[in-house]
This record gives sequence, C-alpha cells and structure tokens, in this order.
Amino acid sequence: MWQVFNKELIELLRDTKTLFFIIALPMVVFPVLFGLIGFLGSSAALKEHQKMVRYVLVNPDASERFANTMFYHSDFEKVDLELTTEDEYIDAIKNDKADLVIVLNPDFEKHLAAGESSPWQVYYNGANVISGIGIKVKEAFEEFTTAIQDKMLAEKGFSASELLAFKDPVIFEQHDTADERESFGETLGGFIPYILIPLCLTGAMYPAIDLGAGEKERGTIETLLLTPVSRFAIVIGKFLTITATAMMTALITIFSMVFWSFIIGSLFDVSQVSNILSSVSWFDYVLMVLLLVPVSAIFSAILLAISIYASSYKEAQNYMGPLTILVIFPIIAPMLPGIKLNFAWALVPISNVALAIKELLKGTIDYNYLVPIFLSTGFFAFVSIAFCVYWFNRESVLFR
Amino acid sequence: MICVENLTKTFTLNTRSKKDRSHKVDPRQHDGVFNALTDVSFHCERGEVLGLLGPNGAGKTTALRILSSALKPDSGAVRINEVDVVRSPLLAKQKIGFLSGKTGLYGRLTARENIEFFARLHGVNDEYLATEAETIYRNLGIVHYLDRRVEHLSTGMQQKVSIARAVIHKPDVLVLDEPTTGLDIMATEIILEFIQLMKEQGTAVIFSTHHLDEVAMLADRVTVIDQGKSAFSDSLQAFRELSADRDLRRSFMHVLNLEKAYVASI
Repeated sequence: MWQVFNKELIELLRDTKTLFFIIALPMVVFPVLFGLIGFLGSSAALKEHQKMVRYVLVNPDASERFANTMFYHSDFEKVDLELTTEDEYIDAIKNDKADLVIVLNPDFEKHLAAGESSPWQVYYNGANVISGIGIKVKEAFEEFTTAIQDKMLAEKGFSASELLAFKDPVIFEQHDTADERESFGETLGGFIPYILIPLCLTGAMYPAIDLGAGEKERGTIETLLLTPVSRFAIVIGKFLTITATAMMTALITIFSMVFWSFIIGSLFDVSQVSNILSSVSWFDYVLMVLLLVPVSAIFSAILLAISIYASSYKEAQNYMGPLTILVIFPIIAPMLPGIKLNFAWALVPISNVALAIKELLKGTIDYNYLVPIFLSTGFFAFVSIAFCVYWFNRESVLFR
Repeated sequence: MICVENLTKTFTLNTRSKKDRSHKVDPRQHDGVFNALTDVSFHCERGEVLGLLGPNGAGKTTALRILSSALKPDSGAVRINEVDVVRSPLLAKQKIGFLSGKTGLYGRLTARENIEFFARLHGVNDEYLATEAETIYRNLGIVHYLDRRVEHLSTGMQQKVSIARAVIHKPDVLVLDEPTTGLDIMATEIILEFIQLMKEQGTAVIFSTHHLDEVAMLADRVTVIDQGKSAFSDSLQAFRELSADRDLRRSFMHVLNLEKAYVASI
C-alpha cells in the first residue's frame, strides 16, 4: 500500500498541472485574482462615487432655495433639458442624458404655508447600485428639509435644545457585546469554508482523475493489477494519495490566507484582519485542519470511485462536473442567517464542518459538538472508502 | 508449467452494449450476457513458446487476463507450477510477467523508478536490485538512460524498459498480449529477440498475436481461439500439417473453417 502511495505521490508532484492546482492556485493565483477583483471593484466604486450626478429639475421655480441647494452641491451637475411628461423623464435617464430627474411640486410654497407635506417626484435608475444616486439624493434632501424644519420650528419659538429634542426625541447609544473577532466570524466566517471545502474538492479532483481514469487510458492500471498486491492495498494507496493532495491544497490555502492577510495588513495599514486571525489560537487552526481530513476523505473516495468507473480522462471530467455544484449546497448552510451549530447540524456531513469552522473563527464553538461532527464525517468517509474498495474490485468497472 | 483447463467467462452486457448492433450477429450474446469464453484449454511447458491466435474478439485477451488473474473465470482452472491462479492469485502473480503493446510504464517516473517500483511490488529486495538487476539493465542496453523520465524516451527505449519491468522478478511464465501491435520494426525486433531469450532461459512464454510470421519464428505450440473456444491446441508442427502446403495462414483459415462447420452442424 505504501509503495503505491509513495509512487503515486512522486508522480503527482512531478506533474505541473497538479503543482498548479495544489500550490500555485491557492498561494498565488487566488490572492492575485481576489486582489485584482477587489482593486478593480473598489476603483470602479470610487470612480462612480466621485462622478457628478447629472440632474434635471422640473418646475424649478417652485423652490428657488432647493434649486440653489442642488446647483451649489458638489455631487450634482445641472443639465438643461425641457421635460414635461413622465415618459420623457424616463427616456432621458434611459438614453443617458441625465442620471436624475426631480419634479418639484408647483404648489410647494402653498403646502409649506398651510403646514402640509408636499409630494415631489424623483426619478433615477436604482439598478445602478454602485453609483449611490439614491444615497446622494437622500443626503441632499435631508440637508434641504432640515433647514426648513429648523426655520419652521424657530418661527414657532422653540429653543435650540428643544429643537434637538423635537427632531431626536430618543438618542440610541448602542453597545455591541460581540467582540471584533465574533463580528468578523459572523460576517466572514461562513465565507472561509465556502473557499476551503471546494478547494479540498478541486485539490482532490485532478489527482483522482489521473490515478483512476488516467491510468486506465495510459494502460498502466492493468500492469498494476497484475502485481502481487491486493486490490484493497492498491485502492487504499491511491485513496491516501488523493486525500493527502486535497489536504495539502487546504493547508496551503489556510497558510496563504493567513500569510496574505498579514502582508496586506502591514502594507496597507489594515491591521484588523491580521489582528483577528492572530486571535484565533493554534489549537483552533489545528482543529480546522483536522475537520477537513474526513471531508477530504469523503471527496477523495467518491472522486476515485467515479474516476475508476470512467474509461477516459474526458469521461471522468464529465462525471465530476456536477459534483462541484452539488457540494455548494451543504456549504451554503453556515452562510444562511439564523443557522447555528447544534446537535442536528453536527450530524450533517460537510455542513457540520462548515459550521464548525465558522464557529472556530468566531471563537464561540462548543467543543462538545466536535464529537458528533467527527463521528458523522468519519462514518461517511468510511462508507465512501468501503464503496470505493468494493467498486475497485468489480471487473465490470475496471474492464469496461 | 502452466495449464489452462476448460475456461469459461461470461460478461453482463451494459445498456450501451445491448443496443450495439454488432453484438446481435455474435451468437455468444443472449439474454443480456456475453459468453466471452465457453471452453478454452491449453498448456505450455518450461522453455516453450505458445502462440495464441484468433480473430479479433475471439477471447484471447480475456483468456490472458484470466491466466494473469486480472479476471476471475466462471469455471475452469489455471495452474502455474501447481499454484491455482483463482485460489491463490497473489502467489500466482509472483510467478507471472506481463507485457503488452502498451508499455504500462509511468511517464513521470524515471526508467529506474518504474522498474524498481514494480520489482518491490513483486517482493524483490534491495540487495537483488543492486546486483542482479544491473545484469538485466546491461543485457537490455538501458543503463545509460535509466535515470531519464520515461515520457522522454523513444518507443523502442520504453519497450526495453517495459521488458526489464516484466522480468525483473524472474517470472516462471511470461504473458504477452499482442506485444508488437502498433510498434515500429525496431521495437518489434526488440520484443521478438526478448521472447527468444526468455525461451532459451527456460521461461514458459505465452503470446497472443495476429502475425503468423512471429508464430513461425518463435512458437513451439499454437492455440487458436475462435468464438470463445479452443479451436486448435497442439504443436507448431501439427498446426503446419493442417494445410497441405504447410502454410500457416492456410492452417489458420482451415481451423476457423472447421470450427464454423462444427458450429453449423450443431
């Protein structure tokens, strides 16, 4: 068994594709890609945020003060268009002649004098979330309406403190009991297993194809089967190689995540993430790695069984494709609001590990749940390996 | 040395095979099963070469896979030096060397790593590898490229490494499944010389082939498998005498015609 394991490992580590998947992808490609996406995203958002919102006022004479507020506002740029109907407002935005159309109520002053609210219409494309037009309009309106409120209340003889109490009768002073690590774990903790667990799958996928269908295609599996080594030993040797590769991928990813967090933290003076990752104990990191062992074992056994069944590389890839989508479902659980690690969830394979990793990052894990988690995932891993061994012993599978 | 008796082997057809029209004309298929072998027997003694002949799909590869214990027969027996291949497959495998047209080598390993990997799986110890193996390497002329990766070797070089891999554990029986198929003249020559050498060293050699000139050159015995049955199994001399002009091709056709006449008569 160990002879097979050693041989498979040496062969895999000499393969550039394997090295790319288990080392380059998590160490360099992912951080570079995420960094690039983050950089492009934030620059696009900044660019959009800095962009002036082109606005059209319909009935500007209804409030000269509002017209002036908008005109002198640094976020807005006036566009001179003659628009009269709603269709024209919408067309102007659709045709990119303006970003915003504000229809002032012609009776605004009358409403104001009568102490009534005055309905105005605002048109903009809300789908363009990144532009933040809605927020900018709200801010401009708040500035305008606050000034009116202050004037109206002052005219009625309210003092400055009364004005403040009138506008904000209750001032909420919020005290969050969650520490920085727990908040981080809640928001981003669910995202970490979302990266780690599929990486265990992809880390196992290529070696599984190479060691099963690949050997069939190259004609080496038959030579191996003709040696005086039991099929059990051969399949376990292959299985251990695949699991080791999957684990290596996960370990390198964890190392890469921590490494890049510290690098980014020190380079851009964003110490929050690195501080939080430092607050996670080594014991918890070891537990995270241990939790990934049975998950990798389940993936490895299933992938090897599929690969052994396939008669070619391409066929194996076709069979494995849907698995990458299927595995997403149990990982989504910890990202859903209100889902917490309890005894029932601790029995659901893959979901339990995803939830446990999240709790470990938050620092709120109940270590007692690790027992059912390891028992459950261990049981599923054992069943998967047993099936893989049974499958490998079937002539109809090996000699399709 | 190696004795194959009344082998039978049936495969369950999968849905795709059931729909495959080519099987419908094969009388061996019925009720979702394919009778690959119905009665195959032959034997080969130490220092003999047995040529296994037969049309495509006759059952040669299935028979060779059974005697090398990759497949289990439904009935019948294979014994190598009185070791039952079905009952003691691991013991039997230690006595067999296997070679085919596909070299069965790992491209990303060096020639030496390939040979030593298979040697260790056959229980060959390091001491033997350090001494005896060097003789095999020298005889095959592979010493100077032992530490090069197999994927960087020519077909002929790979074939030599494959030979070393097949005999490193000194097998009693050598099984070759169409070893020269798809090979160029030089690589074919290497294989044929190797078979001759093994014969001279007292190994029992069984090789399946479509090339009658190879049989004429090397074989002492001939077995023809047709429709999953042994249609002929005797000495090369007896095989030659089946045709008036002692032409092997005519003898081969003669055997097949006789078999067809037999099937038609029942």
